[in-house]
Amino acid sequence: MHSLSRRLLLCVSIPLFLLFGVMGFVLDLSFRELSNRSLQQVLDSQMVQLIAAAELQPNGSYAPAARSLESALSTPGSGLYAQIRSPRVNTVWQSPSTAGESIAFGPALPPGARTFSRATERDDDEVAVESRGIQFSDDPASGQTLTFSVAVSLGPYQKELWRLRSQLLEIFGGLALLLLGTLALLLRWVLSPLRRLEREIHAVEEGRTDTLGSGYPRELSGVATNLNALLVGERKRVSRYRDTLGNLAHSLKTPLSVMRSALTGEVKTAGSPGAALGSEIDRMSGIIEHQLKRAAASGGALFGQAPVDVAAVASELRATLLKVYARKDLSIELAVELESQFIGDRGDFVELLGNVLDNACKWCKSRVRLTVSIDNYTFSRERLKVVIEDDGPGISEEDRRRVGQRGVRTDENVPGHGIGLAMVQDTIEMYGGSLSIDESPLGGARFSIRLPGR
Amino acid sequence: MRVLVVEDEAALRDMLKARLTEAGFTVDVAADGEEGLFAALEYPLDVAIIDLGLPKLAGLEVIRRLRAGRKTYPILILTARDNWQDKVEGLQAGADDYVPKPFHFEEVLARLQALLRRAGGWASPELVCGPITLDTRAQTVKVSGERVELTTFEYRILEHLMLRAGEVISKTELTERLYDEDFERDSNVIEVLIGRLRRKLDPQDELKPIETLRGRGYRFALSRQSA
Repeated sequence: MHSLSRRLLLCVSIPLFLLFGVMGFVLDLSFRELSNRSLQQVLDSQMVQLIAAAELQPNGSYAPAARSLESALSTPGSGLYAQIRSPRVNTVWQSPSTAGESIAFGPALPPGARTFSRATERDDDEVAVESRGIQFSDDPASGQTLTFSVAVSLGPYQKELWRLRSQLLEIFGGLALLLLGTLALLLRWVLSPLRRLEREIHAVEEGRTDTLGSGYPRELSGVATNLNALLVGERKRVSRYRDTLGNLAHSLKTPLSVMRSALTGEVKTAGSPGAALGSEIDRMSGIIEHQLKRAAASGGALFGQAPVDVAAVASELRATLLKVYARKDLSIELAVELESQFIGDRGDFVELLGNVLDNACKWCKSRVRLTVSIDNYTFSRERLKVVIEDDGPGISEEDRRRVGQRGVRTDENVPGHGIGLAMVQDTIEMYGGSLSIDESPLGGARFSIRLPGR
Repeated sequence: MRVLVVEDEAALRDMLKARLTEAGFTVDVAADGEEGLFAALEYPLDVAIIDLGLPKLAGLEVIRRLRAGRKTYPILILTARDNWQDKVEGLQAGADDYVPKPFHFEEVLARLQALLRRAGGWASPELVCGPITLDTRAQTVKVSGERVELTTFEYRILEHLMLRAGEVISKTELTERLYDEDFERDSNVIEVLIGRLRRKLDPQDELKPIETLRGRGYRFALSRQSA
């Protein structure tokens, strides 16, 4: 239930169905009540007619005159049945309609008794039976209690009941569907600004647009405006932060350059104060380099930032490195899966890939190969697979372990040796990716990097 | 070799000027982007060193404009922001190499010499033409394995000629690349220097390494042996 409109529909449909259910049940109940009463009336009136029509027969039993019989009682299987039991002469009269039926009219009754019952006829047809025990005062065999019984088939009533039930179901079901449909349409309309907001946020996430549009309803316009302000502010903040760091680096490194160049000549004499100062300057610049770069790495996709086109970055870096390493007879092969994208900050990615490629160019004899592919069958933070290989001397087992270790800081290192890779490692960690180093078929080192991508 | 240094930090600029002069370069300096662009477009340069963080006109823009002005000499960028995005942008704008700050001067020098060699079509720091070998790192010259002592100016002329071996180089060009802009130019000095070079490199007058093309200039005539 992660959708508002589904939740709302559910909230409305539960009471709706409950209401219709109760209404249906009450209607059904009253119909049955009503039909029972009318059944009673039919039975009563038939009973009265039967009693009135009963005549003493020559053998001392009672039976209605054939002419006074209702046509339904004379028609077999009509659904209306009657029986008169005269115990003294041990005779039972049954209406012609009972021919072929076997109706359980129930036991003989004492005078004045009256019973109602239901009995099952054959073929599972139910009948309602009324019986009365009666003594006629003019009966020659006085004291004889006659039992008059009338039975009515319930079939037509039940048929009527089911017809009514199905009608109720149709009407209520249709009504419920109509209501829910209307409601769904209304919800669609009411929630459409929310859906638009969702779409636009998604577009911002993917970097297709950089702010949300305007024209939201009053309740949402505040959210949209504030979100826009947040987006713009965040972007400005990050770029100002980076600028500040860049300026800081610039203002720290320029005097360091001056200091270092002022020491020239003295540095070469081992043990001299100049040499000691020189190595301290190197250490300082190493630390500045490392820490400022770490601080400048954003370590995550900035909201509203476009994903990075890996192929474009790779070919830019290739052109740059071929120029920088023009003194080397170098070939950099690129095999980048089309439209593969890194999800994160472009600066971070350029820095990371630049450092690893630079390292490969530095150590290779003549060949460097960059392979980038997308692996959709893994965690999203490891979908982008970047492999950098060279044909250089490779990396020793021990150094590989060191590079792979978490938390090994290379602040103490001489600039240019290790800071690049430490930086790479930091960035990969920040993105939750992974780095492994082994031997390449080309002969040198192979760096396999996993990063968020698609 | 004539080099332009565009750097706003006075201490660094002065140091570069002093050390590069010491290393045998003729050095022009500029303290901001606009001044740098003017010098880069107007002076006959062999190479330029440009800081990316310049006042008035950014280093990247200077590089773009001087490349747009059809200047083809190599450019080395200095950058305090040692990140790949800047390097990529710098090299895309038309620079040829970069050195991050704080740098060792030796590194800048090595990169400069490499750029100059590459611009002249040489790959190794040793330029070899016939029996003459010039080592750009040690700034030494040998003929048939024998060390030949040259003065700074003699070395600079020979280096210039050998870097562009086979090309005709005018006397004016040689003068401009040997002296600062305010130096009083006297083309006789070049003739004297060329004469001394010929005597030192080829005392028996057998090799004839330097040709004089009347009215056009000089050409280093021995063919290149190393790539």
